[in-house]
Amino acid sequence: MSLLREAERCVANQYAHGFNAFITPLSRAGPWLDRVKEADVRKQEGKPKSAVDGRLISIKDNICTRDLPTTCASGILDKFTSPFNATVVDQLEASGAIVAGKTNLDEFGMGSNSTNSHFGPVKNPRQDSSGEDLSAGGSSGGSAASVAADQCYASLGTDTGGSVRLPAAYTGTVGFKPSYGLISRWGVVAYANSLDTVGIMGKTTANVRDIFVRRAWALSLAHLKKQGHTVHSVSLPDTKHALSTYYVLGPAEASSNLAKYDGVRYGARAEGPDGDGKPDGYLFSNTRGQGFGQEVKRRIVLGTFTLSADAIDNYFIQAQRVRRLVQQDFDAVFTAKHPLAAQGADKIAKANDVDVIICPTAPSSPPRLSDLMSNSTKKSPLDAYVTDVFTVPASLAGLPAISVPVTVSGQQDAELAGIQVIGQYGDDQLVMKVGEMLEGRNLD
Amino acid sequence: MLRPWIGSGTLRSLRVQRLSRSSLSFPKAPFSSAPNRYLQPPTSADRVPLRKQLKQEAKALRSHKKQRKETEEASRQEWELTVGVEIHAQLDTEAKLFSRAATSTSDTPNSNVALFDLAFPGSQPEFQIATLLPALRAAIALNCEIQPVSRFDRKHYFYQDQPAGYQITQYYEPFARNGYVDLFDYDGIAPEDGERVRIDIKQLQLEQDTAKSQEYPPSTQLLDFNRVSHPLIEIITMPQIHTPATAAACVRKLQAIVQSCGAVTTGMEMGGLRADVNVSVRRRGEAAGQHQYDGITGLGQRTEIKNLSSFKAVEDAIIAEKNRQIEVLESGGVIEGETRGWTIGSTETRRLRGKEGSVDYRYMPDPDIPPLIIGEDLLSSLRESLPTAPDTLLTLLVGSEFNLPIEDAKPLIELDDGARLEYYHDVVDILRSLQVDQDDKTRAGLARVASNWVLHELGGLLAKADQAWDAEIVPARSLAHLIDHLQRKLITGPTAKQVLATIFDGDRRPVPQLLEEENLLLRPLSREEYLALAESVIALNPQMVEQIRSKNQLGKLGWFVGQMMRTGEKGRVEAPKAEEILRELILG
Repeated sequence: MSLLREAERCVANQYAHGFNAFITPLSRAGPWLDRVKEADVRKQEGKPKSAVDGRLISIKDNICTRDLPTTCASGILDKFTSPFNATVVDQLEASGAIVAGKTNLDEFGMGSNSTNSHFGPVKNPRQDSSGEDLSAGGSSGGSAASVAADQCYASLGTDTGGSVRLPAAYTGTVGFKPSYGLISRWGVVAYANSLDTVGIMGKTTANVRDIFVRRAWALSLAHLKKQGHTVHSVSLPDTKHALSTYYVLGPAEASSNLAKYDGVRYGARAEGPDGDGKPDGYLFSNTRGQGFGQEVKRRIVLGTFTLSADAIDNYFIQAQRVRRLVQQDFDAVFTAKHPLAAQGADKIAKANDVDVIICPTAPSSPPRLSDLMSNSTKKSPLDAYVTDVFTVPASLAGLPAISVPVTVSGQQDAELAGIQVIGQYGDDQLVMKVGEMLEGRNLD
Repeated sequence: MLRPWIGSGTLRSLRVQRLSRSSLSFPKAPFSSAPNRYLQPPTSADRVPLRKQLKQEAKALRSHKKQRKETEEASRQEWELTVGVEIHAQLDTEAKLFSRAATSTSDTPNSNVALFDLAFPGSQPEFQIATLLPALRAAIALNCEIQPVSRFDRKHYFYQDQPAGYQITQYYEPFARNGYVDLFDYDGIAPEDGERVRIDIKQLQLEQDTAKSQEYPPSTQLLDFNRVSHPLIEIITMPQIHTPATAAACVRKLQAIVQSCGAVTTGMEMGGLRADVNVSVRRRGEAAGQHQYDGITGLGQRTEIKNLSSFKAVEDAIIAEKNRQIEVLESGGVIEGETRGWTIGSTETRRLRGKEGSVDYRYMPDPDIPPLIIGEDLLSSLRESLPTAPDTLLTLLVGSEFNLPIEDAKPLIELDDGARLEYYHDVVDILRSLQVDQDDKTRAGLARVASNWVLHELGGLLAKADQAWDAEIVPARSLAHLIDHLQRKLITGPTAKQVLATIFDGDRRPVPQLLEEENLLLRPLSREEYLALAESVIALNPQMVEQIRSKNQLGKLGWFVGQMMRTGEKGRVEAPKAEEILRELILG
């Protein structure tokens, strides 16, 4: 099939079965058509620019694009268009890829079901046995749905505490969170800077690698240790605190990062004079009150509290200590030494050490959207936070992790599960390799 | 405070202007400001004779000053004042702290702004390494321990001049600690502090400036983001200052040091440097206070006065705040820990926000900026290239080589960022080589003569023309030749001044040629010519001669000298000789 056919089919799918995956879909006609045709010519001549030359890549709407709006699914950036492209977008375009539109998400990346969006919830292309709509996972739910529904070749999401892996697990796609810092965050709207990572979603690990490999070589991290192919159980004693640590640090950084949205220099402003029109009123109170959704407000308040003078020692600073312990837990069980560990702190490998850790991505299969949205069955925000329990540890430690779909035969409903592979910092290639071994396996 | 180089005409108008102000808080004129500003006649329309008005005002001023001095001394006896100072100074850098946008103070508003400076979504900070150089120079000049590792933190508060909702600063781990500044009597410290007082510096930190706001009441504010993220250093002293005068001297000295080491170019008068002070009092001889700040215990509750923009304001605000605190305590009240403000010309600080309204800045390490690691190699090369400290220069100038009075040495060092001093050195070097044939005593006095001409004569011309310093207006060589001729009595003093003005106005002929062509070289009058001249002026004013003789009013001799200079041939009458002849004729 030609690249053009493939691309046109993707765009047709964007308009045919929405799933509300896109906030800004790709227009049916546009200069991108010519760029795909050129890529087809290069492909026929055997000289493609890259593995993604002429492919449609959808971009999560918290990654800046010059040509399409970047809303972060927030009312406060309702009509905002960034004056510049994120580095990852420039790199993709330089490789011949086409931005396939901007995908829906939880506002500023805060959520686990992609229901906290100013533009409405994302639907999972999969339905449960009774035909009920399911959660696509969050916060990169739009990216996951766009991949699952063949609306693009692959997608860029962001993963702060599991936001790429969880939706991959829910939608039966592959979601890869590289080592922290490996992919540029320039132009990625910050939620929690010390955790934010650009992640890649695709139908298969191969699709994901097409995009990823180009970055990995550039950074030439030492990788790929010999695989043992043996299974060991490992203990990560402090990791039980990871989830609460994440929900202290994430909101703290978010409360700081989101302070800039005051509607003074860009973004939406509330109608009429702000600050109740009083001379000593705040210039931004109505604007922020109207622009942000519930979950974002909740996390700003949480973060503001954990950074306040009376609470910072018990919350923010304590959480930073626990974060270090979580990282040390991983270092203790991996064969490979952390490449950024202090000089001289030589790692003595033990017999039981492992190359990768394999665990579920999500503790359960995707919840029904109707359960999430209806008031009678609506659960507390904490229930959604618990969904991140398996994904958050790797985020805190900055480790590469991938979620691949694995089919369990016999059961209709929970036939598909996301399995997560976590590796040592910089072991991104190994993680993908192991992911590929498991991907699509039909296990008895 | 009046600069000696201000000509007598200027002096008079200046005094008129000064005394006609009812406020007693006339700000000190900074060196570089043009006295021209004060030349306009007073605008007051009252009909009181000027001379009378001046006298009354001068008297009121004197008695007010005396009274203030007495009450200040009384309160000082009973209460101990403690002050710490925080200074924010704009570093002299090309780029902003975290973006490549240029720094500017005079460009079109909002023309030098990067996306990060406006906190655009997705923008990232890029630390500009070059901003470290002036910051480190300041830290070295202030005798600080420079930290091998320091970090940046976010200080959160909402205000429209702060685009990100936080300022990036160094709160937990600043780049320099434990410095000090020495203040001497000539720096203007209070007499009770003696000859020297050392103020410890707690730390120096790098941080971003905010946007500049312009208020158009009631409801318009314009924002200029050119200033946003201009690199600043904040200098924090220990609370070790105990008099208002010493606090002002400390701010002045800190400004002079950071300017002379090339860290900072614009001073307080241009808004490039702002000061906050914290003030507390406690009764002497009583139990130690409950409070401790920066490790100094036993202090009273302190308040902070923000954003003082002149040395005078620092001193006045501290006096006012000290007196307010004493008044509160003496009437049985309690001092609240609060932030206060000061308006120039007022007599009271005003409350900005109290403790209950105090801002919790929620300091958080910035997750986007890596730690700053400073190597010893960089420090040692900076130490070598640092210019001589002002105190060292001062010691040199008042020492035996130059023998200048301190009131000349200080302006020479402080004026024009050291350019005046460099020029002065050039003049002295040339002059000394020209006078190599003279005796030791004459040559020893040259440095002092030269400083008089560089500071007062040349300075006076600059002030009158409202012109900025430029060493080429009167080349050092020309001035040296002029002084050489004067020293050799080849020209008179008035001629020398007149020639200086000619050169100042652009005459580029070499001095010897100029003197020759303009026929200005002194052709001394003979004794007979002096006698004839003296007799002619005496004959016209017999009654004054009588007064000199009978009442011994020798001061009037000077008037006759002036008459002789005026009536005699221009440039030929030498005042000392004229006086000698007059004495001979009148007093016998």
